[in-house]
Amino acid sequence: MDLLEFARGPALQWAAYILVAGSIWRIVGILLLKEKSDFSEPRKRAGLGSALKVVYTRSFTAPPFAKATMYPKMMAYVQHVGLFAVVFLFVPHIMFFKGFLGFEWPGLPNSVIYVFGVAAVVASLALLIRRVTSPVLRLISNFDDYFSGFVAILPIATGLLIPVRLGIRYEDLLAIHILSVVLFMIWLPFGKLGHVFLVFITRGTTGIAFERRGAKT
Amino acid sequence: MKKTPTVGEILQAKGVSRRGFLKYCATTASILALPPSMIPRIAEAIENARRPSVIWLSFQECTGCTESLTRSASPTVEGLIFDAISLDYHHTLQAAAGDQAEAARHAAMEENDGSYLVLVDGSIPLANPGYSTIAGISNVDMLKETVAGAAAVVSIGSCAAFGGIPGADPNPTGAVSVMDIVTDKPVVNVPGCPPIPMVMTAVLTQFLTFGTLPDLDKHGRPMAFYGKTIHDRCYRRPFYEQGRFAETFDDEGAKAGWCLYKLGCKGPITYNACATTKWNSGTSFPIESGHPCLGCSEPNFWDKGGFYEPLSTGKFDSGERLAGAAAAGVALGVAAAAAGRRKQSKFAKEG
Amino acid sequence: MTTVDGRHKLDREAERLAYKPPEVRHDKQGDMDSNERIDKAMWNFLKNFNTQTASYLDGCLHCGMCADACHFHVRTDDPQYTPIWKIELFKRTYKRNVGPFAFFYRLLGLKRKVTIEDLEEWQHLIYDSCTVCGRCSLVCPMGIDIAGLVSMARHGMFKAGLIPHELHEVAKRAAETGSPLGITPDKFEDRVDWMADEHDVEIPMDVDKADVLAVMSSIEIQKYPQSIAATAKILNAAGESWTFRTDGFEATNFGLLSGNPEWQKTASMKLIDAAVKIGAKTLVLPECGHAYMALRWMGANMYGKPLPFKVLHISEYLADALNTGKITVKKVDKSVTYHDPCQVSRRGGATQAARDVIRHLGVDFREMEYGGDYNWCCGGGGGVVTITRADPLRHRVFKLKMDQVESTEADELLSSCANCRQSFDDCQEHFGWDYTMGSLMEMVAENLEEGQS
Repeated sequence: MDLLEFARGPALQWAAYILVAGSIWRIVGILLLKEKSDFSEPRKRAGLGSALKVVYTRSFTAPPFAKATMYPKMMAYVQHVGLFAVVFLFVPHIMFFKGFLGFEWPGLPNSVIYVFGVAAVVASLALLIRRVTSPVLRLISNFDDYFSGFVAILPIATGLLIPVRLGIRYEDLLAIHILSVVLFMIWLPFGKLGHVFLVFITRGTTGIAFERRGAKT
Repeated sequence: MKKTPTVGEILQAKGVSRRGFLKYCATTASILALPPSMIPRIAEAIENARRPSVIWLSFQECTGCTESLTRSASPTVEGLIFDAISLDYHHTLQAAAGDQAEAARHAAMEENDGSYLVLVDGSIPLANPGYSTIAGISNVDMLKETVAGAAAVVSIGSCAAFGGIPGADPNPTGAVSVMDIVTDKPVVNVPGCPPIPMVMTAVLTQFLTFGTLPDLDKHGRPMAFYGKTIHDRCYRRPFYEQGRFAETFDDEGAKAGWCLYKLGCKGPITYNACATTKWNSGTSFPIESGHPCLGCSEPNFWDKGGFYEPLSTGKFDSGERLAGAAAAGVALGVAAAAAGRRKQSKFAKEG
Repeated sequence: MTTVDGRHKLDREAERLAYKPPEVRHDKQGDMDSNERIDKAMWNFLKNFNTQTASYLDGCLHCGMCADACHFHVRTDDPQYTPIWKIELFKRTYKRNVGPFAFFYRLLGLKRKVTIEDLEEWQHLIYDSCTVCGRCSLVCPMGIDIAGLVSMARHGMFKAGLIPHELHEVAKRAAETGSPLGITPDKFEDRVDWMADEHDVEIPMDVDKADVLAVMSSIEIQKYPQSIAATAKILNAAGESWTFRTDGFEATNFGLLSGNPEWQKTASMKLIDAAVKIGAKTLVLPECGHAYMALRWMGANMYGKPLPFKVLHISEYLADALNTGKITVKKVDKSVTYHDPCQVSRRGGATQAARDVIRHLGVDFREMEYGGDYNWCCGGGGGVVTITRADPLRHRVFKLKMDQVESTEADELLSSCANCRQSFDDCQEHFGWDYTMGSLMEMVAENLEEGQS
């Protein structure tokens, strides 16, 4: 079995097991913590709608904070949009998803995807630089922050290398790319990349709790 | 003993024009990445070369490789060069049979000890030597015996080079490649199912011309032919970059000649010269005729997922184990939450 | 050999090179060894952990944006005042003990166990430099209610005996005497009588059955007693059947501010029991921010079931009375700006009520830039105003509020929280500031239509 076969086969398979098991572990571990009922008389009815509302609205910065948080917010948008485009709109990736989902959707030309990819890497690096230069971020950052950033950039960087080649063989680059995705999948449930699913719980529960009081969400 | 004619004499006798011969030499030089100044030297070397002795062994194979080389629509220079070599043993092509044939092989081995070439097509079964025998001799024994005095071995086709289709899962005959058995002689792999005729003769030409073997890649293939992927030299590559793909074999994209990635093309990970040398005297190659590359010149090409599955498809199992992983996740989550809650209530009681 | 220039004083103690040794004061209560303190701090934080709070601590991305929302950080640029950093120790302890991967964290030693020195250092962050105003909770891209987590952290700090001395004293006095300022039922009755005479208003006291129970905060009783009269005038004008009660009058809740749930419950239950006893339909809370949080949103949970009466902040009551025409007010020809008490507006959801009242007053209302829900805190909430060692920091932070108020160029500055009022008064004195904080309720009381008061 060569490296590519290993990456596409057992490595990806096990990464999928770990991704699924770890994510469910974390979600269930949080959801099953004890819940206290709130007896206060609600000002507004709050339920799933409030949760979804805040899941959506917190994607945008409230005007008073817009100026102060402009730079990291913009960088984070570029990073997230870039990552989204690269993962879900690159045709070979769509084929990957089709492999187990059974359906596909329209993708973007590769040249456009490269732009998204480069933008995502640049934005990630900008955020990394901010993390090591801002006193606040230096103070509050831990291993997870740096490692998760690394793990998130790696698949995009290795993916961008495939067309560039740099004298490395296509199948080796592809294998390295897939292995970097494997690392991403394995780490995702355990570190802060878990915000992929945690964001729905944090924003959602806040949405319900605050909306219930009629407070600003 | 009668003096053997040179290759040049043979070609002349067969009616090959000087122009046609030089054209062949020029093409070979360019494929081998040699400067044009080398063309006369190639021509001279080929013309004056004594017919080298070649023993061709066919093991577990379909004879497609031989067909590829010999069944051209019209006689080609490649074919003629092939004719020009002293093919002392090839049980498909030779007239001799039985003991005579084996005697010819032994005679060639003895006369040219240390300088003859062994060409092999087909894989070698190890599970049971009786699966494939020639004149009562098992393939593995015949290979070992024959290569003992050879200058080099050329594995023709993917079966000889990598085990090929006989070696595909579940590999009932325990088929292995030539490289797996021959470890003390230079082995050149010329894989493909079948390999491109030009590639086969180019290797022979280099051996005739310079007495050397070509530079090889990590799979033992001549770099000159297997140095780049089909994808990198594919005329449909721009469509790949533009995101224009044929979705089915009969849609507008297929008719317009768009990229066949979605139809399972293995071009990006297949190293071969099809996109440049093409087949049938430069007529076409699979992608040009509308079919995705199968990746036949790569090791284990038969087992690398479906031919019509896009390259980026992951190889996942049925999903039962994934469900198992999900169940394990639930169990771990419940256990973690229970442990946390137990601690919480323990403390709440103790204050 | 040098000679000293006699014209200038030789000051060997003067600050040099801008270095100022930190003023460290770690207050402690009770006799406990360090390990016991650590255990109590951690477990009293963790014991009420639920899905929401767990997801908060698991979900933090360390993006640092909360720092840009916190007045303490914005004014000092000191990274330790980053809101999420204030609960760093508790985040760590959560991951070690209750989180889904607690086992790994402990096994691999990934999260260092909290030390007593850590906790002592964090006293300053959890009390002195957080007013639980919740502005950070609105900037967080993950929607984490950081202020709520600080309140939970206070539960741990209190039980570990690691809270600022002054706050503990005030909270303890509140638990012992029923009032943080030591206002006994007798004293309250005296003050009420005095105000009834002074303002010539009828003030019902200890009535057996009434629809409305009115309560006051100690700060008002002590410092702004005219609030008592104003409350009475309004409720009388509205024609309510109402009363004050000597067995339930104190609206402030220092159990909540200091982080002691038992004291919090005791204080809330007094009000609830009094309201239940007289069969009140409505309990009207005074101009006090945290009282609203304590009773309106936490009261029923202290009670263990839904409250059999409505809880209204006075601004909500006024808005309702004015909107329904129960009371009417004369137009006031002034320009007014309004400071939102965090616990009533941003965190309590009653932002609109005060604006309704102001509309009825017919003033030239000048909303502060990003007023309402995104208002800057007065800096004294969450018990911070009681902590004297935090005064320099609190004054520094108040500058934001001053700028916000001044840019409106309004004649009058109003709020609806006696605690805010108190910290405004203190800062006014400190800075010699022009603006005097006024009371929304008092403005209504003063401008009731003739014949109503």
